[in-house]
Amino acid sequence: MPTLKQNDTPSTAPRRSDEPIWWSLFSAGGVCVAMLVPAIALLVLLGIPLGLVSAEQLSYQRLHALVFHPLGLGVVLAVIVLPLFHAMHRIHHGLHDLKLAHGRLAKWLCYGSAVLLSAVALWLWLSGGNTSV
Amino acid sequence: MSRKPYQPPMPASWWLKHPAYRFYMLREATVLPLLFFIGCLLYGLYALGQGEASWRQYQAWLQQPWVLALNGLALLASLFHAWTFFVLFPQVMPLRLGSHTLPAWLMVSAQWAGVLLTVIALWWLLGGLDADA
Repeated sequence: MPTLKQNDTPSTAPRRSDEPIWWSLFSAGGVCVAMLVPAIALLVLLGIPLGLVSAEQLSYQRLHALVFHPLGLGVVLAVIVLPLFHAMHRIHHGLHDLKLAHGRLAKWLCYGSAVLLSAVALWLWLSGGNTSV
Repeated sequence: MSRKPYQPPMPASWWLKHPAYRFYMLREATVLPLLFFIGCLLYGLYALGQGEASWRQYQAWLQQPWVLALNGLALLASLFHAWTFFVLFPQVMPLRLGSHTLPAWLMVSAQWAGVLLTVIALWWLLGGLDADA
């Protein structure tokens, strides 16, 4: 290895990376995807054709009461918001790996869409609880 | 000396060249069906907020073969993701009890037990016991 000259070293201090934020959200989302997504896919989205639940069990009254319960906000966070950040983190890195896109724009689009869709989920949850049965 | 260093070419198809790279890309790709799954949940949250007729329409939409197929894929992808995530945990964060480390197989099995518990808990929340009684 040749020795670096003095002017090869950057004059400014390195910028602090924001990667820990995105990686933490990715990781937390990964836990939620592993622990909660199988149950919801199995019982709510595929439950009737698989014969695991009846149509009555997925009735409007029951689901509305469950989802719009105050604790339902935690469910929205765990099964929509965090998995969104998990997915968009992998898409961001996948775009780079496949040489499709890299740089600031791709990063803004990826995490920006995760933020936007999370806001949509929160808005749907806040506005949907008022409908009368 | 300002000789340009040799940079080996890196084609976008680099990941096809080794089984480990293909495995990595397959794991990254688990987020594609996951995004569809999240879309289904957002649609469901919207339908639930709109009222009973809208929820029935959503339930019927879920039963279409292509939606079932994609959600089945999302379920398999989440299980595959869970497997890769659970195997990592004892390596990243080995748990020690006194002088000895908990064996990896025990930590991995405990996490799978967590998935099973989630399925049972959700089934119970959906009134699984009432329906059978």
